[in-house]
Amino acid sequence: MSSKETNSNSENNNSKAQSAKNKQSGFNWRRFNKPLASLKLAVFIIISLAVITAVGTIVEAKYDAYAAKNLVYNTWFMYLIMGLLVVNLLAVMADRWPWKRRHASFVLAHVGIIVLLAGSWITGSYGLDGSMRVGIGESNGLVQVPETDVVVYTSFDGDRYSKTFEKEVNFFRNPPSKEKPYRIPTYQGEMQIVEYQKYVLPNKKVISGESGKSGSGLRFQLQNANVNVVEWLVQKKVGALATHDFGPARVHLGPAPERGRGLNEIFLTPNGDSVRYVVFQKDRETPQKSGVVKEGDSFDPGFRMAIQLRVLRYLPSAVEDWDLQQMAGPTPLTTSAAKVIFNGKESWVLLNDMTKFFTDNSVYLLTYGNRRIDLGFKIQLKDFEVNRYQGTMRAMAYESRVEVPDIGEKLISMNEPLKYRGLTIYQASFQEEDGRPTASVFSVNQDPGRFLKYLGSLIISLGIILLMWFKHLDFKLAKKSLKKDEAV
Amino acid sequence: MKKLSLLVLLAFNLFVLDLAQAVPGDTIKYLPVQDGGRIKPYDSFSREMLEIIYGKTKFEGRRATEIVLTWMLAPQSWQGKNIFEVRNHQVLKGLNLSTDQRYFSGQTLFSNDRFTMLLQELQAKRETKEKLDPYFQALQRLENQFFIFQEIAAGRMLKVVPPVEGDAWVAVANLEPKHRDAFMEVTRAFVSHISAVAEGRSTDDTGNALDAAVKSFEDKARESNPALYNLDSRIKAEVHYNSFHPFRWAYIFYFLGFITLLLIWALSKERLMTAAWVFIGLGFALNTYGFCLRMYVMERAPVSNMYETVVWVAWGTVLFAAILEKIYKFRVILLAGTLVGAFGLVIADFAPAVLDPSLQPLEPVLRSNYWLTIHVMTITISYAAFFLAFGLGDIGLYYFLRGEQKHQEKIRAIVMGIYRSIQIGVAFLAPGIILGGIWADYSWGRFWGWDPKETWALIALLGYLAVLHARYAGMIKNFGMVVTSIVAFSLVIMAWYGVNFVLGAGLHSYGFGAGGVEYVAAFVLLHILFAIYVGVVRSGRKKG
Repeated sequence: MSSKETNSNSENNNSKAQSAKNKQSGFNWRRFNKPLASLKLAVFIIISLAVITAVGTIVEAKYDAYAAKNLVYNTWFMYLIMGLLVVNLLAVMADRWPWKRRHASFVLAHVGIIVLLAGSWITGSYGLDGSMRVGIGESNGLVQVPETDVVVYTSFDGDRYSKTFEKEVNFFRNPPSKEKPYRIPTYQGEMQIVEYQKYVLPNKKVISGESGKSGSGLRFQLQNANVNVVEWLVQKKVGALATHDFGPARVHLGPAPERGRGLNEIFLTPNGDSVRYVVFQKDRETPQKSGVVKEGDSFDPGFRMAIQLRVLRYLPSAVEDWDLQQMAGPTPLTTSAAKVIFNGKESWVLLNDMTKFFTDNSVYLLTYGNRRIDLGFKIQLKDFEVNRYQGTMRAMAYESRVEVPDIGEKLISMNEPLKYRGLTIYQASFQEEDGRPTASVFSVNQDPGRFLKYLGSLIISLGIILLMWFKHLDFKLAKKSLKKDEAV
Repeated sequence: MKKLSLLVLLAFNLFVLDLAQAVPGDTIKYLPVQDGGRIKPYDSFSREMLEIIYGKTKFEGRRATEIVLTWMLAPQSWQGKNIFEVRNHQVLKGLNLSTDQRYFSGQTLFSNDRFTMLLQELQAKRETKEKLDPYFQALQRLENQFFIFQEIAAGRMLKVVPPVEGDAWVAVANLEPKHRDAFMEVTRAFVSHISAVAEGRSTDDTGNALDAAVKSFEDKARESNPALYNLDSRIKAEVHYNSFHPFRWAYIFYFLGFITLLLIWALSKERLMTAAWVFIGLGFALNTYGFCLRMYVMERAPVSNMYETVVWVAWGTVLFAAILEKIYKFRVILLAGTLVGAFGLVIADFAPAVLDPSLQPLEPVLRSNYWLTIHVMTITISYAAFFLAFGLGDIGLYYFLRGEQKHQEKIRAIVMGIYRSIQIGVAFLAPGIILGGIWADYSWGRFWGWDPKETWALIALLGYLAVLHARYAGMIKNFGMVVTSIVAFSLVIMAWYGVNFVLGAGLHSYGFGAGGVEYVAAFVLLHILFAIYVGVVRSGRKKG
């Protein structure tokens, strides 16, 4: 008991000395600093931060991390509270000036927090955090980042396109609507994005387009005792070739060559209201069979295996569109979509996809999707290996053998990233089909704030360790000054 | 003192007895089986399988080792037995079964027309790739029960011989003739042994015969690939871990320590203090021993799922309580520590469906990285300190209810304990979160990604920082400290349990599970209500 009393006495003297010093100086900045340095403000800020981030985690559980970032973590109120925190930390440190030895832990912990926040701010503003998918045997030099852009390409001859519009958009946070559309100027009038859906399940559908401008579409069925497949073929433009590869045979919609190419191929060539077919076999250059079919007709291509090809639907001019099923929340199969209107025609564009519009003399191609940043070099995935837990399909570890310019072949595995040209390339995940890996997914990262973040972390930790030594801090001082405030 | 040494001796005997026990017929427990990505003793395998199907590790008083092999030897005799546990009422309604019953026979469940329909429903749900809600999780368990019983009955699940090449072991159904013959011997000896057990005859002969058969089978299996079959010590340790239940003994001793402390308090018998320390010391030693056993068997620090962290937190609580007790000699800190430690271990022992005690291999990101271990251990040990503060808060509320004037001394000691515990907690939690950031930066390239698990750890930290700052500011006094130590612990419960079991989102998904939400919510709510009640009583008294 007695030791406590002496302690508070010494604190008392201290604070008296300090207030005496305050009176001596002419301009008393401490008086203005006081409310900013108040512990009550600190408690308010801490609780606000806790409440806001708690809401963020609930949003993330209900939707996903992207929604939580857009609706909670990267918002003005979060920045405001962070700003207040920094002001409060600076003010309270100024208030305790000149610092004594016992202030060491308090100053270190608070300086550390400011340094850490500064580092995070630099990372957020100047850092790069994207992902890159590389198929096995393929190479890639583009990193996909979370920011989304709308880009419009214009062509007057249907072949050569030039970029006529490019802007960053965040439809998630500022969704366009009929009343407040997102406007894109073009040579002929204005494109408008009038609706945005956060979570949709897309289903491809084919509808008839304007004759002469869009290519044809055809839905066929290949059937025998063992096989039954139904597929759509849609030409990208008039006279283009659309192909479906079945492995042993291919079915094309488009112009047929004069001679066979050493493959089992069926060419279906649009010809007005009907379709001309030509069949080639692997071992012959001349057509095996040819003829004309209409919607509903079927023929036997004459391959060794008896099979029937039936034309289920034929649209002389067809375009692909999406049937969108609106969902309450995201699943791995949902995506987002925006509705574009141009010259009275409307079309949905999915995230990371494109849509086309035709006018009398030009073609407009609109893309909406994540920005891809060119690294300036390419990463080639030579090999990918998954180790699994014995006797199961459960992945135990995986690694990518990649080749990058200058330094040649390198291994990237979980927890063993590759550092190259200021970037860090991490093994994030992989994609597989039928139990075999097909592509490796890397996380590509540049973090100019890293040093500050580590420094801040170190300082905070030091402060906390010191806290255990300097038991009393100066909370009694604070208590005294609080009482004084109340008295005033 | 004599009594004490007797006690220590008794505890030691318990331990040695278990290690040295050699009941005839037990060798089959040690038979190595490949399952779930690792080699485990048949003892663990059968316990886990029975747990999946029946929800318990014993069936009608018979051990799992006796049950599971008979599924394969005589599946038809199990057809009518109510061995499949189905708890979800919606699933039962879907199958047109009574919701009053909990255990069903394979016949009623799987010959049911609606079973196939439900499986199709589950498959359709899976194709949408949406999160499975409790109903679909229950369906998934049903499918799993069906699958496992089928596979064991067909002899495809029990993989007992190492391959000559590769790493997938050979199941009983696909054994080569020489192995198959040896396994037949085992099954023959097994059947006569269990019928001897069932009839209550002497089991020495049959047990010895079974042991010999198992031994000779193991010798033949080892020949197939000696390098893969060299696992004696780990298998032994695991069987010992299964039968010894170190954590059960640990909480018994913690509880004895708790009772002794209560006696000291009620009868003011200071001499008993040594006994309390011995009990707590024994409990702590057993807690540590179990922890080390798990570590040895799995070759990793056991802090990768809920069960393991609960055990680790119980350990930490007792450790912190003992350290604070040594410094302050308040008694009440140790009382809270033993109470909370025993409570944690009891929960871990009695809720295997929620806190899965089985030993599971790790996800890829968690492997071969000591940053993971360090950051999880640092964060969860801080939960131990907060748990201790929580226990102290409970005792503090009790004293406030009894009258704060009378118990001023006690209350001051409790608040001091709470304050110190929170400080210890913060001193571990803040660096722990930072270490988590370093680990995330090291493995994923991002220091902070607002992942719910790390965010909730931060929220808990902010909560306790708010408490400490409010205390500095004089905004909360003694009663405030007691109440906040209880209220703020709900943040820890959210970070520790809630993120995985309620929110179920984020990168830390490898720890996810389901179940027990209503109990945990009731636990938190009751404590908050208790705090409010004491607050009301207290303000009533003040006015009066």
